[in-house]
Amino acid sequence: MISLDPRTKIITVLIISSAAIILKELMYLFFLLLLTLFICKLLSISLFGAIKKLRKLWIFFLVLALIQSVFNPGGEAIIGIRGINVLTTNGLISGTSIILRMSIIIFSALIIASSPVLETVYGLIAMRLPYEIAFMVLLAIKFLPLFKEEFTDSIIAVQLAGEDLKRIPLGQKLSLYTYILTPSVIKALGKAKYISISMECRGFRSYPNRTSYCRLKMKKLDYLVILLVSLLSFAIIAFHFSIIG
Amino acid sequence: MSFYMIDSIAFSYNNKDNILKNISFSIDYNQHIGLKGHNGLGKTTLVKLMLGILKPKHGDIFLEGKNIRDISLSDIGKKVGYIFQNPEKQLFCPTVWEQMNFSYRNCESIDKNRIEEKLMRYLEEFDLRKYKDNSPFTLSGGEKQRLVLASVLSRDVDFLILDEPTIGLDILRTAQLGKYLNKLRDEGKGYLIISHDKGFLSTHVEKTMTLGAKGVEFS
Repeated sequence: MISLDPRTKIITVLIISSAAIILKELMYLFFLLLLTLFICKLLSISLFGAIKKLRKLWIFFLVLALIQSVFNPGGEAIIGIRGINVLTTNGLISGTSIILRMSIIIFSALIIASSPVLETVYGLIAMRLPYEIAFMVLLAIKFLPLFKEEFTDSIIAVQLAGEDLKRIPLGQKLSLYTYILTPSVIKALGKAKYISISMECRGFRSYPNRTSYCRLKMKKLDYLVILLVSLLSFAIIAFHFSIIG
Repeated sequence: MSFYMIDSIAFSYNNKDNILKNISFSIDYNQHIGLKGHNGLGKTTLVKLMLGILKPKHGDIFLEGKNIRDISLSDIGKKVGYIFQNPEKQLFCPTVWEQMNFSYRNCESIDKNRIEEKLMRYLEEFDLRKYKDNSPFTLSGGEKQRLVLASVLSRDVDFLILDEPTIGLDILRTAQLGKYLNKLRDEGKGYLIISHDKGFLSTHVEKTMTLGAKGVEFS
């Protein structure tokens, strides 16, 4: 396992996700995904664990890819029902590229997530991002799990109050989710407000600069990783454009 | 048959270190039990297992002879009332009245007027009637605690689990809670109270379970 500076991870992810948007050909997207997975492995990120943990997201992307495949005409028909093309070669390419692109973005996010959140914030500050904005990123990162926790608690409370979510019809279920959504948002916002008050109580924004125990230092390995990722991504992009002209 | 039967359960949050190990005990229908133990030993985790919110890694929990794994959370909720350690987690309705009325909103077979009268009585007794149309999130900590107590007690459950119920209540409200616990006792209903308040426990429970590293001990 190697340990990288959060700035290296941020730069790596910036390069990889930009390349994922630029590239269109499946083969090159696949190479980029391999590069991302290789970096994840270097950082000892459990790929299987990530796939398992985010399985609902993968299913969502799979559905998205299927929809994209079905609604993208052109190319040769692969599956057709009574003369109507349900799946075409272009549709399949388009759907697969969505899955590859989303996988690259998710695994890139895992690269950043492999550092403690606060270290990433200090990395952003070291990259000359105003510290107020860097800490806003911290709050934004914290908001989602807070909201998830509040929503899960509300769902448990609803069920313990006697409402069986498995047995009620879909329409009623949706109306119930909408019903508890607003209080969950209010509670999560309330918690975020308390975090910001706690930060201000500890002198946040009292001075133009902040001192910190966390001292980030780029090592030779960090520069090497940035160089290699840049070169490899550039090579993939260059090959891609030389092929498609 | 016991109301609750906990059979050699073990639980861990990370699949490595068991926070609870080899826990076995049973609770009868009209038993009144206290649960105490140091912070972080898993008291709240144990009641979450008893309610089916969490699933044990080993062992089984039976509610009225039926394995809790085969009972839905809503069916458990109809028999067992639970008061969360943090009452705010239990509030999810836009107004105090809707929070009180939530469990009855889809029931057509009941007398609505009688239910409204009952809920209003609970609001009155817990001094919450004036907040009937307010958002529960604008209430103070103690008021939220009272609202949760009122809404759970009004549901006529067979058994009640209270996680640190006296926190946030002043002497008067604590006495009022005690009055309701006595009422439950008179109705032949059981309860389990998690508390560090030895005085409160000694007044309201017959047995106290102490959760330790080696399991539970009755005293």
